[in-house]
Amino acid sequence: MKIEKINEQFGKFAERLLSVRWITLIAFVLILIVSVIGMKRMVKETSFDDYFIEDDPMLVKTEEFKSHFGNDYYIGILTQCDNHFTKENLTTLRALSNELLDSLSYADKVTSLTDIEFMVGSDDGMTIEQIVPDEIPEDGSQAMEAIKAKAYSKPHVARKLISEKGDLSWIMVKLRTFPKDSVWKQQGSVSPDIITGQEVEHIIKKPEYASLNPRGAGMPYVTHCKSVYIGKEMGRLMMIATIICMVVMICMTRSVRGVVAPIISVIGGLFITYGIAGWTQMYVDSTVLMIPMILSFAVAIAYNIHLFSYFKGRMRIHGERHKAIVETIKEIGWSVFFCGFTTLVSLLSFLAIPIRPMHCVGVISSMSVFFVLMTSLVITPLLLSFGKNQKPIEGFTEDSDTKWTKAIVSLSDKVLSNPRKIGLSFSAICILLCIGLWKIEAAFDIERTMGIQVPYVKEVVDVGRSELGSLYSYDLIVELADNDEAKKPENLQNLDKLQQQIGTYKLTKRTTSILDILKDLNQTLNNGDTTYYCIPKTEEEVAQMILLYENAGGTESEYWIDYDYRRLRLMVEISDFNSAQVEREMDQIQGDAQKLFPNAKITVVGNIPQFVTMMQYLVRGQMLSFVISILIIGVILMIAFQSIRVGLIGLIPNMMPAIFVGGYMGWMGIPFDMMTATLLPMMLGMAVDDTIHFINHSKLEFDRTQHYQSAIKRTFRVVGVAIITTSVITSAVFAGFCTSDCTMCINFGLMAIIGVLSALIADLFVTPILVKKCKVFGKETSNQ
Amino acid sequence: MKKALFILAACMMATFGANAQNLTGREIIQKVKDRPDGDTRYGEMELTLIKKNGSSRQRKVSSWAMDEGKDTKKMMFFTYPGDVKGTGFLTWDYDQIGKEDAKWLYLPAMKKTRRISGSSSKTDYFMGTDFTYDDMGSRHIDEDKHTLLREEMKDGHKCWVVESVPVDKHEIYSRKVTWIRQDCLVAVCAEYYDKLNKLHRLLTISEIKKIQDFWTICKMEMKNVQTGHSTVIEVKNTQYDVKIDKDLFTVAKLEKGL
Repeated sequence: MKIEKINEQFGKFAERLLSVRWITLIAFVLILIVSVIGMKRMVKETSFDDYFIEDDPMLVKTEEFKSHFGNDYYIGILTQCDNHFTKENLTTLRALSNELLDSLSYADKVTSLTDIEFMVGSDDGMTIEQIVPDEIPEDGSQAMEAIKAKAYSKPHVARKLISEKGDLSWIMVKLRTFPKDSVWKQQGSVSPDIITGQEVEHIIKKPEYASLNPRGAGMPYVTHCKSVYIGKEMGRLMMIATIICMVVMICMTRSVRGVVAPIISVIGGLFITYGIAGWTQMYVDSTVLMIPMILSFAVAIAYNIHLFSYFKGRMRIHGERHKAIVETIKEIGWSVFFCGFTTLVSLLSFLAIPIRPMHCVGVISSMSVFFVLMTSLVITPLLLSFGKNQKPIEGFTEDSDTKWTKAIVSLSDKVLSNPRKIGLSFSAICILLCIGLWKIEAAFDIERTMGIQVPYVKEVVDVGRSELGSLYSYDLIVELADNDEAKKPENLQNLDKLQQQIGTYKLTKRTTSILDILKDLNQTLNNGDTTYYCIPKTEEEVAQMILLYENAGGTESEYWIDYDYRRLRLMVEISDFNSAQVEREMDQIQGDAQKLFPNAKITVVGNIPQFVTMMQYLVRGQMLSFVISILIIGVILMIAFQSIRVGLIGLIPNMMPAIFVGGYMGWMGIPFDMMTATLLPMMLGMAVDDTIHFINHSKLEFDRTQHYQSAIKRTFRVVGVAIITTSVITSAVFAGFCTSDCTMCINFGLMAIIGVLSALIADLFVTPILVKKCKVFGKETSNQ
Repeated sequence: MKKALFILAACMMATFGANAQNLTGREIIQKVKDRPDGDTRYGEMELTLIKKNGSSRQRKVSSWAMDEGKDTKKMMFFTYPGDVKGTGFLTWDYDQIGKEDAKWLYLPAMKKTRRISGSSSKTDYFMGTDFTYDDMGSRHIDEDKHTLLREEMKDGHKCWVVESVPVDKHEIYSRKVTWIRQDCLVAVCAEYYDKLNKLHRLLTISEIKKIQDFWTICKMEMKNVQTGHSTVIEVKNTQYDVKIDKDLFTVAKLEKGL
């Protein structure tokens, strides 16, 4: 179909819209009200397990692990004071431990200096008792010294509870398995891990525990802190984006409507999208919620600038409001619609990444763009339709230039007269940046993605690096061939060897397994003789010791050996996270374990393997998503312009943001994370807008003039200023992200600006040359 | 003789019924505690521990018990699984509040007996099951404050519903609600609530028989509704007033084995 014919249809649509403007406005308000009600039902998910889509092998492994050993999440609290061995500090520590156990909804067991299964053996007896007695003795008393001596009497116990100087102590809270989504969603909209994190924060911030300076760690706490931080940061960034948007729009349009229109588009787009998400109970991830919001601002500004820019031009010519609106929609409507359509299709390519937050970005962003587009095409013209007609500027015609259009037309002359220089420069820059693409790596650790400028990140990283605390953990499961094999001493010996090997890894902070209990039991049963801190010799001894342990009130064995005595669990806590190093160590542990247990199934689960798997998914999915975007946009361009050549050539400038952003990431060492990973397909979706405007208009002008030079010049005059303006404003909106303390937000903002501006440069410098050189619309039939 | 016993039992029932309105929660619990169960007992227990994921552990135990005044002495020997066979467990349950029960375990693999005392945790569970030692019968009546809530039918039996609130706030439950069958003075169901007043454990007694004229629990299940873990205890071959030597309940006998 010829573009002229499509434009006719858009013109008719505008006429009909103006005839029912009040009904349309009332319908829009009603839709917004229904959406706001729906938004209140929206459930934001944050759990790390929720990142994986159903039936993902990693999720299946994690679920299997949980069914045998319970929740893999834990809460760690690091307390810090001059000396824990005082009556006051031990009393406070006990109160804190008790409150954690009693008040955390999902607490299963607390291990701390004041709450521990401490085994003590004698000639004829065995006691599982507390290090700290019910009655805490006075400072400096012999009894207090005895408590201190007891705490350090077993080095393997002490290293998990109290620092060498006694200034730090570690409280470990094991959690019950969280209920399934279908269960907790019936009771409320806050996920169990967030509830746990909230409760922990509430407890450790109580003034009565301030003397111990408690700091939290563990996934639920970190997730809660992240959720709170992102919530606040999102509000702040949105405010900055709104202010930037308002200031720029007021400068550009010099009218209240110019400011109100894009904001209404954003409100319409986001409210309707989140309303639908709430009514349909769609998966919405808090981490990536910022992306659809900021994207909505960017596209709303772009669409409205194009509409306003053309509308103002028509008003200058004839001053008739309704006529100007119909002409604007007729001339610009299709380009705007086409831009929005390609952007949302490009965003849907996120569905190729098998991680739920990426799906969320894809679906929610696409929906937002769609509703922003619809609001811009329907509500903005209605807003413009109210008011009186204006006096036209005398002598102002379609070919008249403002100072800006004059500048842009002279730019087009320069571009078209220097094709060789521009082509070569672009090629050289592209080659240099492409080399950088190979240096990009993925990262999920909070220090690298969020950065220690963020207060909660600094806190948890400090806890992880302290003598006692840990930041992340992973679990190795050895599944032996038959039941009861896990009790065999030879298998336990191999587990011991493995535990020792893992202890030598660079990142390992601590390891825990059933061996800690068994060795301690063996020592206890042999009058505390340290030479018996070893694995019992026979299977019967192992079985009977576990029975003794359980009968004595021990409850921890089931965390480390399963009910069938077939699976052994080894937990590795690490203090630091280095993506490449951790991946190497995980491969090594898998290999070492397989050598020691050749007939067993070795599985690694927990946060770290989830990180690593997700990194792999993200990198692979990113590539796939980008390729899909390119292909879809190429096909859309080909269909829209009914030319394979136009489709292919239209893709070239759109590769620029990917090359510029990717090259920058590679050379500057910026990793792929949840936010930066979303950039490339998003940039592609947005960059293509300028190309569409350019190609669409140059085709229109070529059909009118049949001369490339003139068509391109007229295109620069009509859409050039709008293209530059939208890119500058979009960049300004994204620049708001650079005011954040969060590394990934800064990177996101910076790279979005690079992406938008590189697309602009490509469209102003490369697209005209390609259009002219490749004669994409056919041969010229006119000389002028 | 049988007829006389029946008449006596009917009279007793009538008396229970007539006095029901006047009974306090404590009196009901005292009646349950005082329910006749012979001076000595023997039984073969099968303990099945079931995880939420369905995997289970089974243990079989032969158990002897003897009352000595208000105290009870028990001897248990594991008969299954093979690797713990012969392991013996001797307990002396004291009725006196605050007096810690004495427990010994004999480990045949190491030929060692160990007296187990104290407990690290406030959750003093019996042999890794969902039952605490208190649930197994060694709790003193005045460790809780009992209130009769109501009378109602449960599974076709008229029951007293009694709420028991621990005197010591550090107990693992904040309150317990028990349904006690009025005809046989056996609790048929009990709900244990945690400190947040959420249901924590649920006891269901599904099989009650009269053996040697003593009402006997033959099967019971305790389910931890929060973790999904449960324990089923089946008691077979129960015998009352068996001839047991007093010396059976000593460490020497424990080490000698079955």
